[in-house]
Amino acid sequence: MAPKITPFKISVHDSALKTLQTKLSVSTFPDEVEFSDNWSYGTILTDVKRLAAYWQEGFDWRAQEERLNEKLPQFMTIVEVDGFGELEMHFVHKRGKEGSIPLLFCHGWPGSFLEVLKILPLLTDKNGTGPSFHVIAPSLPNFGFSEGPKKAGFGIPQYAEAIHKVMMNLGYEKYVTQGGDWGFAITRLVALKYPTHCLATHLNSVDIPPEVLPSLTANTSSLSPLEKEGLDRTKWFLDKGYGYNDLQGTCPSTLGFGLRDPLFLLSWIYEKLHDWTDSYPWTDDEVLAWISIYQFSRAGPEASVRIYYERNHVHLEETMRVHEYNADVKLGYSLFPKDLCVPPDNFAKRLGEVVFGRRHESGGHFAAYERPETLIEDLREMFGRKGGAQDIGKNISC
Amino acid sequence: MAAIQKFQFQNSPGGVAKLREKLSQTLFPDELEDATWDYGVPLQDVKRVAAYWRDDFDWKKFEDRINKLPNYKASVTVDGFDPLEIHFVHKRSSKNNAIPLLFLHGWPGSFLEVEKLLPLLINEKQSGGASFHIVAPSLPNHGFSSGVKSRGFGLSQYSEAMHKLMLSLGYDQFACAGGDWGMCIGRVMSQRFPTSLKVCYYSLVPSTPPSPATPWTFVPFLIKHLLKMYTAAESEGLARSQEFQKTGMGYYQLQTTRPQTIGYLLADSPVGLLAWIYEKLRDWTDNYPWTDEEICTWVSMYWFSTAGPAASVRLYYESLRGEFPTKSGGYVPHVKLGLAYFPKEIFRLPKAWGSSLGEVVFEHEHERGGHFASWEVPEGVAGDLQVMFGKGGGAYGAVKVDKN
Repeated sequence: MAPKITPFKISVHDSALKTLQTKLSVSTFPDEVEFSDNWSYGTILTDVKRLAAYWQEGFDWRAQEERLNEKLPQFMTIVEVDGFGELEMHFVHKRGKEGSIPLLFCHGWPGSFLEVLKILPLLTDKNGTGPSFHVIAPSLPNFGFSEGPKKAGFGIPQYAEAIHKVMMNLGYEKYVTQGGDWGFAITRLVALKYPTHCLATHLNSVDIPPEVLPSLTANTSSLSPLEKEGLDRTKWFLDKGYGYNDLQGTCPSTLGFGLRDPLFLLSWIYEKLHDWTDSYPWTDDEVLAWISIYQFSRAGPEASVRIYYERNHVHLEETMRVHEYNADVKLGYSLFPKDLCVPPDNFAKRLGEVVFGRRHESGGHFAAYERPETLIEDLREMFGRKGGAQDIGKNISC
Repeated sequence: MAAIQKFQFQNSPGGVAKLREKLSQTLFPDELEDATWDYGVPLQDVKRVAAYWRDDFDWKKFEDRINKLPNYKASVTVDGFDPLEIHFVHKRSSKNNAIPLLFLHGWPGSFLEVEKLLPLLINEKQSGGASFHIVAPSLPNHGFSSGVKSRGFGLSQYSEAMHKLMLSLGYDQFACAGGDWGMCIGRVMSQRFPTSLKVCYYSLVPSTPPSPATPWTFVPFLIKHLLKMYTAAESEGLARSQEFQKTGMGYYQLQTTRPQTIGYLLADSPVGLLAWIYEKLRDWTDNYPWTDEEICTWVSMYWFSTAGPAASVRLYYESLRGEFPTKSGGYVPHVKLGLAYFPKEIFRLPKAWGSSLGEVVFEHEHERGGHFASWEVPEGVAGDLQVMFGKGGGAYGAVKVDKN
């Protein structure tokens, strides 16, 4: 019997909207000082006050909901994850023309399924030239509208298993992946665990383990200016931008009490939307739509940060393999200067057979959202007629 | 001379009402079935304390407890900054030749940590034991002292503020006791003002191993280290210190880089603030049996601080910048040191390393206690100070006291 796939439309309860409004109405802001609007101290006060006021009154979540439901065809399916029982997984699924390549898109934190909004139309374009894709973009367990596990120990291998099984439920026996942030580790583990299914991986983030960084920065004489800039950015991230990661990786429950406070959730996520992008001109509607996905998430915003903790505590050996050479999967990467870890060009060769690699001159961490045309171009080239992964494209299109 | 005025704390009825309203509207997170303290503060603990804070915490008692202490405020101007109003407790011994002792709190502590020490130190009955005039301020940005409006107020500025406060009280020479930031401020103060600050007592000891540059201490250290010849307490302390570095420094990494971002949690969510602080009260102490009343007292000191709770974490950011950044080790001459080692401190390093900090005239390994030693084991701390400054003690006579 084929696994059930049920259509889904986002429909947040009225009570959740009311609660949000009530909480925001009693906001207490930090004291105003001369440096309250200095980004090096954190999320600036002027922006938080404006966004909070708009979120409380003015921001139209129902309009956002309608827009997402209209542009992103969504579904639910149940998968079974070893040791954790059944999880209901929410995902976007849009088919391209006949003979398209199934592409599993994996978001990270503080992203979501919504990141495919801008790449979906062109990737699934039935009338275009060049390779077309069937796009599947799940909400990871603990994120968006997917269920979260109730027990401890749900690590990166489990996230990989969950999204792989969504593909199996859909009948996509062979597929390729695209991801950044947690999408790096999760899709790399998908490729490791399911080498007969996941045949190629495209990454818009290539993680550098902190202990490897010194060897990369030791001798930069042969690197291009862009590569040096990338390493500087990486150093900045690991030195000055890693607090959130340390915190979420050691005491997610403590932080969780704060994440249920909408004003703090807003400042916590908005800081990353600002710091991790290449001067992306976020509108207030965009910011609040992103953050509302966390505010209204099925498992609650506190669940979304447990991945950091589990990464540090369970399946350590298996998870470390994402940084090792995997001969079974073809690799492509796109590097953006304002991403967080930006290694030199030849770094990705450590990870597998690189069939596509490009370093871009602008763009940041959320490539699919900031630079959708660029990412689409890269994917079409990688899987296109003259691309390094064209064989895979031909073999698995359906 | 800074104008010194008596200070009386008063609860704000509007503030308490708003706190209760916010507590009533708290949305609590879910918890994993098998979540332990490893993940952070458990849900049931926070719910319990939050309910107590809202319904049962005795605000009149809170007010009275603070006002039982002799509170004052003085205006202090630090170079390059607007004047600050510094709140402090000031209790003088009846003995004129008592030693002026500046007691400095840290985070998430407060001046109130001196409460249990006072009766033990202002001890007129005992002859031969040391007597003290105690000054216990709220640090700027904390408690009932002003907040700092400009950036760049780091350890140098904190030390200058505290030094000026002591001078304004007529104490040309004094001693200092502290842990956490109190210790860091003491260290910078002793570097900057060696003619004033003559003795420091640290309950958190930021020593470093001897360096190869001093082979007579380095070689024994290396031998001890390689052969694992530390005492049981020291080995356990080293392991605890390493564990803290690995898993206990998330708050530190965040507060040193993004104090404003975490400030929204501390300012807007009382339950968020409660969880944030309560985690440290539990993790950093030696099974201290915190009552809900104590927890709420400590947290209320932040919620109702003059500058607001968001201001209190800015020191972390500013302390890594400026002329005197926080760092371990570093020999400071001209000041005598008393070092106290508590088993459940956040880092607890081998005793031999203490000489990296200065001239150690007193050291004591305690059997009990953690990060908030003055609160957890006040007799232990008071005992150290009595011995250290008393006749025959290593710091006896080190602070010149005029009979005033």
